[in-house]
Amino acid sequence: MLRRINRKCGVYTLIDVKNLTRTFMIHERGHTLSEVIRTLVHRPMKEVRAVDDISFTIEQGEMVAFLGPNGAGKSTTLKMLSGVLHPTSGEIKSMGLVPWKQRREYVRKIGAVFGQKSQLLWDIPPSDAFYLNKAIYGVPDKEYKETLDELVELLQVGDVMRKPTRQLSLGERMKCEFIMAMLHRPELVFLDEPTIGLDMIAKENIRSFIRSMNQKKVTFILTTHDLDEVELLAERVMVINHGRIVVDDALSGIRSRLGGKKKVKITTEKTVNEGLPPGLLITERMNLLELELEIDTAILPLKTFISQFNETYGIIDMAIEELPIEAIIKQLYTGESSIS
Amino acid sequence: MRGIITCWAAVIRTKLAEQMAYRSHFALSVLLLIVGDLVAPLVTLLVYRAGASFPGWSLHEALLVQAVFVLAKGVAFPFFFGMVGTTLSQVREGTFDLLLLRPRPVMFMSMLGGFDPEDFGRLLSGAVLFGYALSGIVAPDWQSWLQFSLLFIASITILCSVSLFLSGILFRWVGSSRVFDIFDAVTSFGMYPGTIFSKAMQNILTYVLPIGLIAFVPASALLGKSGWGSLWALASAALLLLLGILFWNRMLRNYTSAGG
Repeated sequence: MLRRINRKCGVYTLIDVKNLTRTFMIHERGHTLSEVIRTLVHRPMKEVRAVDDISFTIEQGEMVAFLGPNGAGKSTTLKMLSGVLHPTSGEIKSMGLVPWKQRREYVRKIGAVFGQKSQLLWDIPPSDAFYLNKAIYGVPDKEYKETLDELVELLQVGDVMRKPTRQLSLGERMKCEFIMAMLHRPELVFLDEPTIGLDMIAKENIRSFIRSMNQKKVTFILTTHDLDEVELLAERVMVINHGRIVVDDALSGIRSRLGGKKKVKITTEKTVNEGLPPGLLITERMNLLELELEIDTAILPLKTFISQFNETYGIIDMAIEELPIEAIIKQLYTGESSIS
Repeated sequence: MRGIITCWAAVIRTKLAEQMAYRSHFALSVLLLIVGDLVAPLVTLLVYRAGASFPGWSLHEALLVQAVFVLAKGVAFPFFFGMVGTTLSQVREGTFDLLLLRPRPVMFMSMLGGFDPEDFGRLLSGAVLFGYALSGIVAPDWQSWLQFSLLFIASITILCSVSLFLSGILFRWVGSSRVFDIFDAVTSFGMYPGTIFSKAMQNILTYVLPIGLIAFVPASALLGKSGWGSLWALASAALLLLLGILFWNRMLRNYTSAGG
């Protein structure tokens, strides 16, 4: 659906990934003293399939989030997409280029922000690091000044440009990391946990910047564990687990995969027994009369539930909410069968 | 070419700015490097003052070999050798990724990242020692100076190649800081006149591990002890550089980044 809409807007397929696989050979040893000593002579190797035969396409101007538990293969996929790693097998064509073969031409068109790997220089002001990037990317003086002024204004960092990086707050530093990544006006930007450790206000500023850049048709690929970020930014989510894409859908589509599951907070006149009808599950019991339930409306319609519960226990207060995205993603990570 | 010069200029500016953030550390580091590099020449001085000597070499001639060695390090270390240290830390931490995201040759980016102005202290100590050694020998003629200049380029090229080999090893031998010890141990032979070693050792230091080409051969040219035939060292250095580049790029393929 999303791709069809994009095609109507006249945008093109930016990234085309086919049967991408990446394996690593890792050393394996036990923790006992004899095993440690044995590794001095012989270190057994084990092949790990970090990314396992994945295929997808990404359109220009999309905002895609890669989700997955730690070690699922998200970062490895991102590194192959950015040309840092070459795959064991499979193909990537991004902006008409093969990232690891035409690396220099390719990286000129991309940007990257790593929440845990700074591109700034710790002891000197961000403006010096920007100047260095200008030289490395060969950005002409006029274009550099225009872009820098625009980014500084958008991110409101004019007053920190000349302070040593080490004296900046984490939020200010992250804003400057974004400027580093955007100075050469990339068409595609990779974000690896870009708001990790930031407070709410700093997060909102960064997200608002990402949205404004995305409106200018910059494509963003995001990996994060912050599901709020995914809800607020990403139009499309790819859930990766054990190196494979388990879901590739819009967030609303992922929600609908849970069927009619809802969360109900309820206060009753009488204590609710453990033996509940099919479709109902007690997720938390606050006290004798207050509890939180998960209801599958496909099995037990809401109308029936309310009527039966009121008759049996007497409802004093009740709030019905959508199941939080965390619950959905958790089920996808653990591969629970309740997700269709 | 213009882009490369612009990059170097920006890096020199940036690295100097970084050093100026900790001026006392910078000054102390430069001082310590000067003192450290003058230890071997001081020992040589003590040896000669005690009446001993390197056979066939006067004090100033022996000091000239050591001065050329320190001078060569004074040029090669700030520009090339820093890449060994940066490769060591960046490969281990996975931050080498950031170099691969730059639209320049990775080796060039690695050299830029390793540029270290502190090492210019070696150039200063080398220059002082060189001046002192020259003051005690017969003034070289223009032919000796020309030979020396060409052989000094070969010397820098060899040190650059050694940096590439050591840095390349670190893609496979992740996190091994022992490469610095290997360098110090092997190159320490280059601080002394080659003729004090046995013939077999001289051949090893000239043709197998071309350590003798770093200082002994250029210094010999300046002293008029070798003819134009010694310029074969230029070809040898060029070949070593080519091998170093091929080796480094081959080893780069072993880079697997770090876990995300």
